[in-house]
Amino acid sequence: MGTPSGAGIAARIVTLLLADARLPTGAHAFSSSLEPALLDGLRPGEIPAYIRSRLLTVGTVEAAAALVVARDPDAGTVAEVSTALEARTPAESQRAASTLLGRGLIRLARSLAPAAAQLGPGVAGRSPHRAVAMGLIASVWGIPEAELVTAMCYDDAQTVAAAALKLEPGDPFAATGWVLGIAGTVDAVLAEALPVTGPASIPAPSSPMIDQWAQAHAARDRRLFSA
Amino acid sequence: MPENTVPATSTPAATSTSAAPAAEAVPHRSLRLGVAGPVGTGKSSLIATICRSLADRLRIGVITNDIYTDEDARFLRSAGVLDPDRIRAVETGACPHTAIRDDVTTNLLAVEDLEADFSPLDLVLVESGGDNLTATFSPALVDAQIFVLDVAGGGDVARKGGPGIGRADLLVVNKIDIAPYVEVDVDRMVADAVAARGGAPVLALSKNVQPTVAALREWVLALMERHSSGVHTPVDPGPMAPHFHADGEGGGYVHSHGEDETHGRDGAHRENGSHRKDEAQGRDEAHRREGARGQDETPEGPAH
Ligand SMILES: Nc1nc2c(ncn2[C@@H]2O[C@H](COP(=O)(O)OP(=O)(O)OP(=O)(O)O)[C@@H](O)[C@H]2O)c(=O)[nH]1
Ligand SMILES: [Mg+2]
Repeated sequence: MGTPSGAGIAARIVTLLLADARLPTGAHAFSSSLEPALLDGLRPGEIPAYIRSRLLTVGTVEAAAALVVARDPDAGTVAEVSTALEARTPAESQRAASTLLGRGLIRLARSLAPAAAQLGPGVAGRSPHRAVAMGLIASVWGIPEAELVTAMCYDDAQTVAAAALKLEPGDPFAATGWVLGIAGTVDAVLAEALPVTGPASIPAPSSPMIDQWAQAHAARDRRLFSA
Repeated sequence: MPENTVPATSTPAATSTSAAPAAEAVPHRSLRLGVAGPVGTGKSSLIATICRSLADRLRIGVITNDIYTDEDARFLRSAGVLDPDRIRAVETGACPHTAIRDDVTTNLLAVEDLEADFSPLDLVLVESGGDNLTATFSPALVDAQIFVLDVAGGGDVARKGGPGIGRADLLVVNKIDIAPYVEVDVDRMVADAVAARGGAPVLALSKNVQPTVAALREWVLALMERHSSGVHTPVDPGPMAPHFHADGEGGGYVHSHGEDETHGRDGAHRENGSHRKDEAQGRDEAHRREGARGQDETPEGPAH
């Protein structure tokens, strides 16, 4: 890839922003279901495996959905992808978390110059799923597909790693290593997500434990993270 | 915001959560009042007091920011001062600071949802997760804020200052009924606070001392009045720390920003005109952005 300039650099900056936990979209209150997983007995040593499992299931679905939207960012595709995502997200609490995060993302994006006109409610709705919002944002700024998927995987892994440091005693350097350790898994996610051609071919893996944990967490009254 | 001027395309995204019917009524924009202060100083109790004493006058909603439980929300629901559905808890992921300042998204969405579900609300109170002396609300989230100290934290806390103590719209010195037991001179503590705030309001309060509760009620009503007549300007207590101005004769004084009026009359500042101007512009700019931000999906009137 040549040295980017102008729009290419803007796309890279937006990619970095999307992966930055400091982005003001409300994501800091989420643990990607790590908190309920630990409460249900997941051992801290299993967290890297948990990160991989998420990427290969929830992460792959989200990545593929975002790509489908990014390639064809109109209201019809958004509606179809939203339906496809809901069909692949059996836990009501996860659907709610996804639309809350998507609402935060789209609200932020709409406040930024080039996106404001392109991301009106007619296309994005009020509370799009997070993956839909990511796809729409990627299309506005022209984020390359592999970079979008990598950023989404990084964000999910980093969400788990950062939450782990608040939930369990642990070494922040080790948590950094977990995140770097996802490279091979991201390759696998890309191999699944890039060839997807439309809403119907978005993969539909299941992750029943994550669904179960997410549902249990929504009903819990002592929790640090929202989901 | 531009999205409101762009004609809506024919098909709104068709999921249950994402539809934004154009006909949806615009919810009334409430006065959003933050309540911050260290752990246990009486924030929830103060909110209960406000609800109790103003239930006859105002339609109120409450958002609590709990650090590890929804105890604050439950405390308020069980206090019976407000319809329990109008009290909602927001998680802050162990970052109570962040949720009221750097990233107010979750709180803002909760406030807007409450306003939409119970429109019209006159007042939405947002309790910050009890944190330390430095946590203050961003004007992106609230229009005004109360900072709560209590006598049990020690008589000298007010003197130590900080953004909330110095520049919140109201500083409350709470639990004055127990001052004798913790050996605090309330008059002294209030005088220190008034000095630290350059004369801005300080209220000595106890939920058990009726005249002080009446004074709190009056302060809230006066704020409502200033807000609805458009003369109240939200102030960010945070970014600008109290700072020093030399007087050119080897002396000088420390002062805080936040009270525009004091500023305009301030001799030293008139000399330093550019400083004042920049700052005023900064505020206006922030304002415009906040106004835009207040418009999530639906057009609203001017935020202030
Ligand atoms: N004596 C006395 N006690 C008070 C007063 N206000 C609150 N308290 C007590 O102070 C304790 C803490 O009050 P809360 O209202 O829960 O304080 P808070 O700031 O919301 O606490 P966190 O949310 O945990 O930070 C409780 O035991 C209250 O009963 C008061 O005016 N007088
Ligand atoms: Mg409280």
